[in-house]
Amino acid sequence: MKKSMMFLAGAAVCSMLLGGCGGGSKPGAPAAGNDSKKLIVYTSMKENLIKGIVNGFKKKYPDIQVDYQSAGAGKLMAKIAAEKQSGKILADVIWTSEVPDFYSMKKQGMLETYKTPVLKELVNPFQDYDGSFTAARLGTLGIVINTDKIKNPPTAWSDLMKPEYKKAFGMANPALSGTSYMSIAILEKKFGWKFFEQLKANGARIGKGSGEVIDDTSSGELSASLGVDYITNGKIKKGAHLAMCYPPELIVVPSPVAIFKGSAKMDAAKKFVDYLLSAEAQAMVANEGTIPVRGDVKMPDKFHLPAPKDALKNSIKINFAEAVSSKEATIKKFSEIMQVKK
Amino acid sequence: MSAIKKDSGFGVAHIILFFSIAILVIVVAVPVLLILFNAFFVNGHFNSRDFYNVLMQPETYAALKNSLIIASCTTIGSTIIGTFFAWLVTRTDLPYKGFMKGVFLVPFMLPSFIGALAWKMLLSPNAGFINKFLMSTFHLTEPVFNIYNYFGISMVEVMYLFPFVFIQVCGALERMDPTLEESARISGAGLLTITRKITIPLVMPSILSGALLIMLYSMAHFGTVAVLGVENGIYNIPTLIYERIHQSGGSFEAIRTGTVLATVLVVSAAVIIWAQHKILGKGHYQIIGGKSFRPMELKLRGLRYPLLAFCIFYIAFTIVLPTVVIFLVGGLKTYGLAFTLENLSLDNYKYILTEYTVTKDAIFNSISLGLAAAVITMFAGVMISYVIVKMKVRGKGILEFLGMLPFSVPGSVIALGVILAWSGQFGINLYNTVWIILVAYIARYMAFSLKSNSAALEQVHDSLMEASRSCGATMWQSLKDIVIPLVRPGMLASFFLIFLPALRELTVSIMLYSPTTRTIGVAIYTLNEDGETVMSAALAGIALIIIVTGQTIINRITKKVGE
Repeated sequence: MKKSMMFLAGAAVCSMLLGGCGGGSKPGAPAAGNDSKKLIVYTSMKENLIKGIVNGFKKKYPDIQVDYQSAGAGKLMAKIAAEKQSGKILADVIWTSEVPDFYSMKKQGMLETYKTPVLKELVNPFQDYDGSFTAARLGTLGIVINTDKIKNPPTAWSDLMKPEYKKAFGMANPALSGTSYMSIAILEKKFGWKFFEQLKANGARIGKGSGEVIDDTSSGELSASLGVDYITNGKIKKGAHLAMCYPPELIVVPSPVAIFKGSAKMDAAKKFVDYLLSAEAQAMVANEGTIPVRGDVKMPDKFHLPAPKDALKNSIKINFAEAVSSKEATIKKFSEIMQVKK
Repeated sequence: MSAIKKDSGFGVAHIILFFSIAILVIVVAVPVLLILFNAFFVNGHFNSRDFYNVLMQPETYAALKNSLIIASCTTIGSTIIGTFFAWLVTRTDLPYKGFMKGVFLVPFMLPSFIGALAWKMLLSPNAGFINKFLMSTFHLTEPVFNIYNYFGISMVEVMYLFPFVFIQVCGALERMDPTLEESARISGAGLLTITRKITIPLVMPSILSGALLIMLYSMAHFGTVAVLGVENGIYNIPTLIYERIHQSGGSFEAIRTGTVLATVLVVSAAVIIWAQHKILGKGHYQIIGGKSFRPMELKLRGLRYPLLAFCIFYIAFTIVLPTVVIFLVGGLKTYGLAFTLENLSLDNYKYILTEYTVTKDAIFNSISLGLAAAVITMFAGVMISYVIVKMKVRGKGILEFLGMLPFSVPGSVIALGVILAWSGQFGINLYNTVWIILVAYIARYMAFSLKSNSAALEQVHDSLMEASRSCGATMWQSLKDIVIPLVRPGMLASFFLIFLPALRELTVSIMLYSPTTRTIGVAIYTLNEDGETVMSAALAGIALIIIVTGQTIINRITKKVGE
């Protein structure tokens, strides 16, 4: 008797769930357009950077509920593409380091034009600025070394071809990490594909996300990697045996912030962008060891980073609009050189 | 009177058949058809050139080859280990057999990608703890082990997948009618002959079905290869799909490329299943005859304790060691530091449990998804297998074909399929909700449920049902009084086979998650991918505690139900 009851109960649960799943989703489903009251920020910035900024924003605007998702730029874009396909983009604000994505979103008319009132106080790396997106950070990439393994810090990019980096230099996967893609495009611009062929010949490896290669460097699995400034500095703060080295040809990757057209929280979104560009939030950016976009923010000396204006001046120049059209081809060429197992 | 009874039986049969077909069509067939459709049609026009282009890329070849090599090695390894241990705990006088049987199910609790993370920490060539230890102890200049190759990946998968075979073979050996072996012995056959002619043929279906599960699972497995292979150029199809989707800024084109790769996976899975059918032939073994005896045990004599020690060492090496490493790394301030007291703290655990918002969502999502998927699939599975194995109704052929589908559709394919089917094009939009993951889980785990339920049903002799019907019981009565009690172990097994894997699922949910619908697996994997190694280890440690607790509770409950 007990057994049959169990079976019946189970069958009931089963059909209920199936029915609920199929039928319930027609009208008023929780699915499309999660019109929650929250402002949603998609960002590729790591927890240690975005968390403080979001908390600061919450403190300043206690009425606005805000949530963020932090993931690699590639993942976020995949998500956005799928959301677009299904009719509704869930995010209101996007802040990543993958500049080409912003150009292509602009082209598709996905971005709201918003010229922030604090614009004149900012350093602007984009020649064709029109308010669709604004740089909110100037990320730098350098050679991160494991100080136990590498005794003489590298001073030039060509140092990476030395035997001490054999099979021990890593880069993040450009398909997953926007910063990694940008840095590869920049290095290619300056040194050509030969640079990567030489790296491959010296056994360079492709990791996953931009933070993962740094952890592998910290553990000693890699001796050095192409690393993002604030992620590395965050780990150094926690005691990792790492150091950040900058060759003279500086890789600077701006991280633009933009608002999606049709956001239901337009007002809050604009406030968030303004806050992100304010001296208060930019000071947090500087304190995490990356370059802010405001000249009036003081940067801690320990990071040995140049001031925003100098960073732009010394950086390898790249035409961002061009990097858009060549993105897929660049990644493809890069994977062909680096990933084909020999 | 009897005519009415017959009619009602007929009605029930048809309702069941209809439901079974409906479930399989909606959950499995539609997504798969959409994948095939999208692979060959662009904007409604047939286009085989794109398909051909993707196929001709060297990466596709390499990924397919890698998938097959890893899956074959894993299957062979797991089958040998699983069968051996199953035989040891059921047919020998190994000390503490009952306890050891439970212990061999423990690897099932450890998610293979967490295992992979742990083994990466232990055996990566330059930084692995074991390698570093050996190098400094014996003053070696070259690392001893390298986990980043086919062998390493397969080894890790074997460690955590062999219970698939173990469970199946244990069940078969326990249920097997020992009179068959005894009569062979009475007729003068030696142990070898009995094993070769009686035991192995009888358990072969179980061994093969376990092996098949592993083969299909491993071929479409994301986690281990993502952790250990990708960085060193070893891609399999799921990791390639994952990367392609993230590569082109997430355009729909990439999803289409994914569908082509998925088609390759489906075809190779179909070939494997076809081969298994060829090998297995049409042998049907109804080995529960309504009577039961205790099977004969082989005396291990002097080998009893050495074998026990071997089993314990195996478990310690594959389970305890990685678990300890995960917990220790989870306590480190940052990855790469030495395990000294000053570098260890509970801060990461505290952060993960109290501050990190993703944790609570992930745990809740995984548990509710696991329970819902397991319950639904268990009942749907027993119903569908009943129709396939026992019923004689028209239209069964369709169901038999549909029933084969879940077996041949790997997880990553299902994930792509449900994206295509449930993201709004057909009126229902589940994308970015947990429902889409649930639908995918049901489709994915239906195979497990069908397998274990139909295996159980096949062993219920038709005569039992016939006897009950001829005594005047209705179809429904004989179902609930005869069939269900007999297949209940199979149903419970399917619940296990679904709930625990679903709890730590990664392959499907990594493709489907949204900000609020991360599963535990996704949360751990993304933390790791983002370079928060110590955080991901801490969360993995917490996940292990949840999984073990969950398993213990379930064991209690099922034991009670089983009594």
